[in-house]
Amino acid sequence: MPRWSWAEVEIRGVAIEDTFAEAFTMRVSRVVITARSPRWAREAALKMTGFATSVIGCKCEAGIERELAPDETPDNRPGMSVLLLTMSKDDLPVRLIERVGQTILTCPTTACFDGLPDAPDRVGVGSALRVFGDGFQGSKMVGGRRFWRIPVMEGEFLVEDKFGLQKGIGGGNFLILATSADAALAAAEAAVDAMAGLPGVILPFPGGVVRSGSKVGSRRTKGMIASTNDAFCPTLRAVTSTALPESVNSVLEIVLDGVDAPAISRAMRVGIDAACRQGVVGITAGNYGGKLGPHHFHLRQIMSGDGPAK
Amino acid sequence: MSGETTLTLRRALTQRVDASTVAWDALRGLEAAAIEGQEIWVDGTGRARLGDLFKVAAAPGERIRLVGDLGRMDGIGAGLAGGALVVEGDAGEYVGQGMRGGSIEVKGRAGPQAGAALPGAKRGMTGGEIVVRGSAGAGAGSGLRRGLIAVEGDVAEGAGRAMLAGSIVVFGAVGAEPGLWSKRGSVVALGTVTPPATYRYACTYRPSYLPVTLGYLKRRYGCPVTPDHLSGLYRRYSGDLAELGAGEILEWTP
Repeated sequence: MPRWSWAEVEIRGVAIEDTFAEAFTMRVSRVVITARSPRWAREAALKMTGFATSVIGCKCEAGIERELAPDETPDNRPGMSVLLLTMSKDDLPVRLIERVGQTILTCPTTACFDGLPDAPDRVGVGSALRVFGDGFQGSKMVGGRRFWRIPVMEGEFLVEDKFGLQKGIGGGNFLILATSADAALAAAEAAVDAMAGLPGVILPFPGGVVRSGSKVGSRRTKGMIASTNDAFCPTLRAVTSTALPESVNSVLEIVLDGVDAPAISRAMRVGIDAACRQGVVGITAGNYGGKLGPHHFHLRQIMSGDGPAK
Repeated sequence: MSGETTLTLRRALTQRVDASTVAWDALRGLEAAAIEGQEIWVDGTGRARLGDLFKVAAAPGERIRLVGDLGRMDGIGAGLAGGALVVEGDAGEYVGQGMRGGSIEVKGRAGPQAGAALPGAKRGMTGGEIVVRGSAGAGAGSGLRRGLIAVEGDVAEGAGRAMLAGSIVVFGAVGAEPGLWSKRGSVVALGTVTPPATYRYACTYRPSYLPVTLGYLKRRYGCPVTPDHLSGLYRRYSGDLAELGAGEILEWTP
């Protein structure tokens, strides 16, 4: 049986459930990648944010925040802004060093800068990667910031000595309940397009969309951290305690990570609004009863412009 | 603290003045009387006070402004560790001597040995920034340990002699023997330069840090950086090979 009534709040005929997305405190760094051309900045950013959909299996979550114009970057070249999040403070430098070292250092023409220069907490990234220079590396101080020049076959790789980290939020989300898989996908694409480039937010899953929402634990397999969210699987409607109304035949989820609650709230509002279109029955969100994550994004408050409740 | 302390020269200097004894860093928080009482040394007449030479208008803040032709005043900004010192004219020898932080902007010309180590000292300035709008005399940045010196005009011979690190950016012509005996550090020549014989050509490329440094100089100080400086190619010479050889001269190729 559906767990919620439909018609109380609608946007263009799409019901907004009176529920909330439950999200977690994470640690976030912003990495600014620049290159000779937008193409190579994007190539590096795509590689860096690859296989970083969920901390469950990838140890971090990462995504492209937005494209940067030359006048927005420290070296006046085209760039990309990337957010990378981990669950713990200790894990963040490890993931940064791995990913910057393997995906940005290796990419032609790139340089890599801290995108949170005002964050008081700092982690060494360039200071660790510099040893790749095998003693031929050099450092430069510019405007109070230290950079490492690491010689590479192409020329040299420039990377900032330390990167800022701060508390962020992971797991903002909303679910699109649609009459068909095509309608769900079209709505999800519209939502992602609308949220693209909004500051302070990333959508870490493929194309920004998740088809395999999960519940905590497993009914059958001991030790599983997460398993399929059977209550939202249309194919299981007849054999499980479904949360789907009769007319729903496909569900897609949008997961959002961000630097703070207002950024996520703003993006959810834009994304949900864009997803409310033909073929979509309702919008809901994933939570664990409010007992696990400290950040609750109430859909109806967000859509009325009130932002997150807490 | 957004105020500015201004020292205006009462009359043209006729003797050389050693101002390295002034506690330049402390001036920013002092009353006018205390600033006027700062000791200096005048060639020929000996000990004097800043107040004998300057009219002082004190306002607590990060910025100190010196107004007048100070081409005969040496050691301006000696030991500076923070804040901004602006010289609205020429400066004498050893501007920024022993400087550790902050910035000195010389709107006219700088005399010899800007930011340089004193004779017998191992290190020149160890931090901060000196920007000279005009030309700079011989030995600018000699013994430079860290920091940035930018000269919008020409620099005379011996720039960056025996430098240990840091950067010297020259928009005009670079005089003879730049970077001689340097261990590390960069001399960036946006005008003409002839590297010493003990430097060896390495390659022509885009040094990754230069757009950061040049962009910073343009944003912070309004230096005449062009898009071609930012995206252009530079000839890299490594040296001094008679020393560690980890230094470089970067010659812009228009």
